[in-house]
Amino acid sequence: MKRILFALALLASVTGCEVTENTGNRAVQKERPTVNIPLALRQSNWRGSRGEGSCVHATMISLFRWQGRVNTANHWRRTYGNGEWPDDMAAKFDREGIRYAYVTNGDVRFLEWSCRTRRGCGITVMGGAHMVALVHLDDKWAAILDNNNVSKFAWVPRETLIAEWKASYGWAVAPVYTPVAPLPQ
Amino acid sequence: MNRILLSICLLLAVFASVVPSFADTATANGVLAEERVVNLPNDQGKWYISVVGTANDAAYLRVLGWFDATPSLKRLKDQVHFCPVTTGGPIYQERYACNVKGLPTVRVQKPDGVVVYEAAGKNLPMTAEGLYGAIAGAVNNAQGVRPILPWRRDMERRCPGPCPNPNPQPTPQPQPDPEPQPLDDGGAPNLEPQPQVDGWPLWGLALLVNGGFLVGLAAGYGRKLYAKLHPVA
Repeated sequence: MKRILFALALLASVTGCEVTENTGNRAVQKERPTVNIPLALRQSNWRGSRGEGSCVHATMISLFRWQGRVNTANHWRRTYGNGEWPDDMAAKFDREGIRYAYVTNGDVRFLEWSCRTRRGCGITVMGGAHMVALVHLDDKWAAILDNNNVSKFAWVPRETLIAEWKASYGWAVAPVYTPVAPLPQ
Repeated sequence: MNRILLSICLLLAVFASVVPSFADTATANGVLAEERVVNLPNDQGKWYISVVGTANDAAYLRVLGWFDATPSLKRLKDQVHFCPVTTGGPIYQERYACNVKGLPTVRVQKPDGVVVYEAAGKNLPMTAEGLYGAIAGAVNNAQGVRPILPWRRDMERRCPGPCPNPNPQPTPQPQPDPEPQPLDDGGAPNLEPQPQVDGWPLWGLALLVNGGFLVGLAAGYGRKLYAKLHPVA
């Protein structure tokens, strides 16, 4: 049932909305989503050597590029693929000397931290069968970038996304480097 | 009697200090035992510095090199999110191409994207010290630390006399994935105040005035003495 609700929410989502906020006495065009990954940096999912999808790796590659680690992203694309589990992924990160953080307990504070610091993170959805990039989380809305369709951001209500994530093992993982600078205001 | 009371008070004080510390330890142990705890950087308050240019352009590489070779700029770099951007990449195409005024560009932004300092092309200071001074002035001004002094305005367009480093050494090619920046919870950059232009300090001025007064007094008195010793015939 939750999957159906989530799918409906995805279908009803809007793409790349811009919101004008009034801060003090001047209008500020606030960038949304906060992790506004350019189209050219988004990594699509691919089939690995075992025929499995590589959603975790695709998500990490998009986030590596957003955080200025282009070489690392290219290396990752060439080297890794197929499905992943948290422990295996952590072992790969450790082996490659990647700076990262993750939770597997559905702690929403991790999602809030990743979006507050404009880094974004990968989160599990669809009962743990898939990973997407969380690119925005505020009081009402969340935005995800699905590596199966990188052409647009999908917006869903915050609580819907959190419920989906918690029902999907609550795994979230983020590289911890320097995010791209915000658009000039 | 007094000694007994004092002993009891001391014992109570010791127990009062031991009990809470034991409770704290027990709580901390419980949390630590549950899962690995890491400190996530709460660096959402950090400012951003973008250095934008063409990958092989000497001016771009020189400015980029300043942030590694000059201690003040290196210190500043470690306090902010430092973003080198080259014109060939998608980041430049989608986020910089439409809003930079020239190349290379140095842009300092607050966490919300408000531009505090930006200089491009020929408007860039020609020395690392000049760039640091310009950024420091703009950052301090934005933070309300102090206004930009008149002599600092448009400093980058005036280069008095021979520059201290007219032929900067070529800097090494920037690595695509440089060493990651240090992680901390830093907010706005903390910049050291700029050195003031050497002017007359107050005590020097007072010394000069007092000295002049004494010289004048001595001269007047000396003339009178001379007149007294050498009366006009």
